[in-house]
Amino acid sequence: MNLRGKPFKKSLKLLTLLLTSLLIASVSAGMYLSLTMTSTVKVYKSNVYFVIGSDNGTKGLEVTLDSTNTTATLTGLRAYPNASFTYTDPVRVRNNASVGTYSQLRLAPKVDPSTNAADFVYVKFLLNATIAGDRKWLNYTSNGVSWTCPTGPTTFTTTGINGGQEWPIVVYTMANATATVNNSVTISITVDVD
Amino acid sequence: MPSEMLPEFFALLGIDLFLMLSLLTCLLDDRMPKALPYIYQIAALAGYGHLLISKNFFTVFGDYMRFWYCFIYLLVSLANIVAVNIYFAAVKKQWTLAKVWSGAVSFPTILISIFFVSNYSYLHGVPFPLFLQIALVVSAIIMGTSVAIFLSPEALRNRFKEEEEVRK
Repeated sequence: MNLRGKPFKKSLKLLTLLLTSLLIASVSAGMYLSLTMTSTVKVYKSNVYFVIGSDNGTKGLEVTLDSTNTTATLTGLRAYPNASFTYTDPVRVRNNASVGTYSQLRLAPKVDPSTNAADFVYVKFLLNATIAGDRKWLNYTSNGVSWTCPTGPTTFTTTGINGGQEWPIVVYTMANATATVNNSVTISITVDVD
Repeated sequence: MPSEMLPEFFALLGIDLFLMLSLLTCLLDDRMPKALPYIYQIAALAGYGHLLISKNFFTVFGDYMRFWYCFIYLLVSLANIVAVNIYFAAVKKQWTLAKVWSGAVSFPTILISIFFVSNYSYLHGVPFPLFLQIALVVSAIIMGTSVAIFLSPEALRNRFKEEEEVRK
């Protein structure tokens, strides 16, 4: 491919093609680079968040939410010796999407209880879905010596929470008959959204 | 942490292959149809269109779909390279040129494409079987050595001379 022997017309043609090739190659590479940058971060506003339930301010319960309503802190939950105690509506999970847009939810353990196992019998959380078959339990039980905790998340709800709906997370507690008053335990769980 | 390879990389590779084909067919225009370099430029522009569509529908198209339409584009460009090779060998009966083309263009581009596809599949948790990886390395070594030995300027000059003499 000796260009020195080629006529001027052919050299010009090659030069034109070379320039357009450079242009196409560099524009394409730039486009690929911008795609790489596009794929790095994408933040969406969450349609699913916590709402304070009607039990707040009753039975010693105080519910606080963070600024984005995606973290709920429940303080003052009570457990009575040898008696089950229920908070039917301490906090709710809301799907704020339009009606017909479903999100699957599940409960998952985050920080397991590690103290005062001798004082408690159980602390149970129930994702109280509208359809009975979708309700999910996350149970922490104590044998008086140590806590038995869920090893993984519950399965996702099959039907899912419809847009505009709110599902309460019910909390069941029971202390040991010989429990020491004012002893407490801290449990952290998450609500996964799919 | 190295950035992950996107499926659009195959479209980018295909574009570059089409551009390379365009320039090579321009250099060999006494043996090829005159319009071919321009057709390959248009094909490269179509690849740019691919990237543009990917950018605009990035979140709509899944990884799977993006991979396949970019990979098919790359396959089309590779098929064109092989087709030119066959054209020289079967239609033009220019065996030396066909051999040079296969050694300097067809095999390297196919090998490079296989390398990137294997890299992509490895990053997505589907590594090539070990024997295929070994075959890839062995064929690269053999090809490199063969190209160096058989496509040296001196050897090529002699072969083209022989071909010219046969034609006369």
